[in-house]
Amino acid sequence: MSTPVQTPTQQLQVVTAQPKRIPILGRLSPEGWMVLPTVLVLLAVSIYPFLYMIRMSFFEYSPLPQVPSKFVGLGNWVQMLQDQAIWASWLTTAWYFGAALTLQLVLGVAIALLIEHTPYFRDALATILLSPMFVAPVLVGLLWRFLLHDSYGVYTYFLHEIGLLNNVSILGDPRTAMPAVVLMDTWEWTPLVVIVVLSGLRALPHDVLEASVVDGSSYWQQVRYITLPMLRPVILVAALIRSMDLLRYIDHLMVTTAGGPADSTKIIGIRIFEEAFRFFRLGYASALGLAMIVVTIFLGRLFVNVLGEEQGAPGA
Amino acid sequence: MPSIRRNPKRLLTTAIILALDLIVLAWFAFPLLWMFLSALKTQAGMFTMPPRWIFEPTLANFQILLDRGALLYFRNSLVASLGAVVVATTLGSLAGYGLARGRFRHTKDISWWIITTRMAPIPAVLVPLYGIFRGVGLLNTLPGLIVAFTTFSLPLAVWLMMSFFRDVPKELEEAVWVDGGTVFQSFWNVALPLVTPGLIATATLSFIFAWNDYLFATVLTSGPTQTLPVVTASLQTMHGVVWGQVMSMGTLIFVPVLLLGVAIRKYLVRGLTLGAIK
Repeated sequence: MSTPVQTPTQQLQVVTAQPKRIPILGRLSPEGWMVLPTVLVLLAVSIYPFLYMIRMSFFEYSPLPQVPSKFVGLGNWVQMLQDQAIWASWLTTAWYFGAALTLQLVLGVAIALLIEHTPYFRDALATILLSPMFVAPVLVGLLWRFLLHDSYGVYTYFLHEIGLLNNVSILGDPRTAMPAVVLMDTWEWTPLVVIVVLSGLRALPHDVLEASVVDGSSYWQQVRYITLPMLRPVILVAALIRSMDLLRYIDHLMVTTAGGPADSTKIIGIRIFEEAFRFFRLGYASALGLAMIVVTIFLGRLFVNVLGEEQGAPGA
Repeated sequence: MPSIRRNPKRLLTTAIILALDLIVLAWFAFPLLWMFLSALKTQAGMFTMPPRWIFEPTLANFQILLDRGALLYFRNSLVASLGAVVVATTLGSLAGYGLARGRFRHTKDISWWIITTRMAPIPAVLVPLYGIFRGVGLLNTLPGLIVAFTTFSLPLAVWLMMSFFRDVPKELEEAVWVDGGTVFQSFWNVALPLVTPGLIATATLSFIFAWNDYLFATVLTSGPTQTLPVVTASLQTMHGVVWGQVMSMGTLIFVPVLLLGVAIRKYLVRGLTLGAIK
């Protein structure tokens, strides 16, 4: 949108024009009143459950709803810190998180560059490519379980045809289960990185890239020293979004490995889900969940700070 | 720049690029193609190895799903997702505008709190929600599920609408104020009509995330209040693994969402990065 040339009179209006105030609204500004319903709803669905969860973490619950819960003080917290299985789960989470994030960022940037240099059907290619993102995470799990099925999975068949993993149950073997679920998540979410990086590439100033061609730098030098550094903020945003959602979603894992075999894919989210809804140890699950939320809050702060700098807002 | 035909080196580069494109395309598209094909196969036909590419398609799987009452779960999914969309877009538009235009002492803190709500890990959010819902009787109800979906759809809507409202030049609204209008009047008559495409994109994304949810629905609903993804996941245990029905149900869940997603393609990057990248 082009900004109209302003005459001095118009500028004067810009300064003086103020919305009409309605006295009965009191001290809160009209904008405040517009934010208020959301704040109240989020207090009810986010802050209240959060406080409730802190309270729950001091109690021991019975699987039977009619049996009253028992106050155990810091019992759940002490148990959490001493629980080897929980520490192992955090380590598994770190592996899953690190492998998936790295793979998705590297592949995402590479595929975005590839598409940018594709001479034909670029948009059609990009559109087909982004479809995995729209598959419900639980369907991704079911679909990949079908593809990797031991006896009639079509991917299993392909792998066997080229002589790989012949006597291995891909999702049932601790050595292959983790790589398989990482690839599964990568299949769904690399497209997100691709379209984010593509939009970043489109926004790059072309005179800089052309100047570097004139200087005689090779394509790879250009990518390494000009394109990638300029894409840094965009890649950072993609990395943050992926980080949050890697911790957030366990749907696809629940229907493939459910944390197994032998806990090899039991990331912390699955552990919480199990404690809460399989063993109904809601108090212990609350302590674990709170620990996980602390990690998220840290990531959220990072997100707002980074985005605040990128777009000069919110209220930065 | 020399044309492709006259420059062998350039021709080779193009060939390599196209070959890589094909690999990428196969990797991303094949699983979906396989889902569509498997949905159209008979239960026996889908397990033949090597896989059969030419076969007589059948809609038998879809028929079985209808006979089993899939329409009820379709309705549940629709009601819960649309409910979340209505709550999120209504409150989100108001709050997004307020945060974009208003001057508060703690705008940054409010935005951060709102975004943290959207990012909180679902397993962790579910634990207290389950406890609370059990106490107040919201367990196994669609309104309960809508409340649960609000935890992520409302923050998404607030952030997106805030980003869209920031693009509206304040000068346009001042015309209303000069005539003695209120903030709400300029919001309703000027700002909101200008961000209609953004509002549609926001509503669509809220819908997609709610429609695709499995974890909330599998814990908070049961029996007649289940949604499509929950039923799909449970098909695998009812009578052994009925993969044909799972793939048919998958197709039914996926295709509407894909069409919606492609329709808002222009706003996808912005929507998925919560307004960070335009």
